[in-house]
Amino acid sequence: MTGGIGSGGDVVVVGGSVAAVTAADALRQQGHEGSITVVSDERHAPYVRPPLSKGMLKGAETPESVFISPLRADIDLRTESRAVGLDRGRRRVLLDGGEELPYDGLVVASGARARRLRPYDPQAGDAGELVVRDLDDAVRLRAIFAEATSLIVVGGGFLGMEIASTARGIGLAVTVVDQDPPLVRQFGAFLAEHMTRAALDEGVRLVRAPGGVELPGDGRPTAVRTFEGELLEADVVVSAVGDLPNVEWLADSGLGGPAGLLVDERCRVAPGIVAAGDVVARVSERISRPRRSPHWGSAIAQARAAATALLMGDEAPAYRPSPYYWTEQWGLDIKVCGEIVPGSTPNVLTGSLEEHSALIQWTRDGVPVAAATVNHRTPLVKLRKIATTP
Amino acid sequence: MRIIVDEARCEGYGFCAEAAPHLLELDDEGDLKVLSEEVASGDAAQAEAAVRVCPVAALRLEP
Repeated sequence: MTGGIGSGGDVVVVGGSVAAVTAADALRQQGHEGSITVVSDERHAPYVRPPLSKGMLKGAETPESVFISPLRADIDLRTESRAVGLDRGRRRVLLDGGEELPYDGLVVASGARARRLRPYDPQAGDAGELVVRDLDDAVRLRAIFAEATSLIVVGGGFLGMEIASTARGIGLAVTVVDQDPPLVRQFGAFLAEHMTRAALDEGVRLVRAPGGVELPGDGRPTAVRTFEGELLEADVVVSAVGDLPNVEWLADSGLGGPAGLLVDERCRVAPGIVAAGDVVARVSERISRPRRSPHWGSAIAQARAAATALLMGDEAPAYRPSPYYWTEQWGLDIKVCGEIVPGSTPNVLTGSLEEHSALIQWTRDGVPVAAATVNHRTPLVKLRKIATTP
Repeated sequence: MRIIVDEARCEGYGFCAEAAPHLLELDDEGDLKVLSEEVASGDAAQAEAAVRVCPVAALRLEP
């Protein structure tokens, strides 16, 4: 693409979560001496999201406990500051207050937002639909749970099942509705079936709605209507139906699209612009359609690669993804390295799922593609090795 | 400067150990060990970065 911006330029980082924080840290670690300004539309300083659907929602943690250690003094963090446009020609980020931030290098880490079932205008605020994405979402839902006895979660993916598990743990009657069997896409049939059994054992009701659902009424939803015509009701309905990349602010610059912000093999978008985190879409060796990988580990690895590429340009090493993600639900602590691709075969190497403690490796055509631990503490280095070594 | 681990919060994800392998390590049981009580000034930037990649905010630095 080109050379890097060198060590003296001004860098603007758009975003306020772990990708933005890590990119800023990585720039300094790699000797960048120019200014670094982090622009976040959140009213909070950067915090960690993984506990939001677990400890935070349960009430076991205080909001203060999720904040990331404050940024270095030589990094300028601006909260409640929303990037609304990008002028690539003049190298300026446009902020909602009318201010323009000049940059030599730009890191786009604007993340993603919860997808909603009802029409949603971010400026007008929500129409009562509940999601779990931000700290404020979790704090609000926790208060609502305290007054409720029943919950419907729409969406049986990672987030939906974690919310369901947390709510069941504090005594709510829980129903999970999804078009597909829960968790199969993320964990493969073998592990997903075990997790689903654990959910059923806890008394959760699972409802398939192949045609999709809608949330009838206005205000905070208390019912879900399936396309097949079934009406489910509860005190609280939470939507956990995926996320959408925050690319709208880039529209006039010609960058980004519904699939996300496409990066090259070094996390570069355009000369002087790199990207990391949930907003990023990449093509892989296996799948040529641009895909996002909205996980903690991807955000960190991409942020480091993006920082290096911003400074070094073509001299930077290529980003080699090494997927790592996890969940906690129904008393199961599951960590996965690699990709549990369709058509792969699970082999339990240690323990067993029946004993709720296992180390599992997946192979396809005899080649390892993924490894997982279930309630089985293992060093990450070892798990990564089992995911890739026969 | 010292790295403080909140052991009740730590889930052994290992991001900190990947970020600062000579300061932090997961042992054979997957439990986090701080390898160096005192962080040398030359390692400060790495220690700070390692503390900030914990997905459950279980680490902090003390002066």
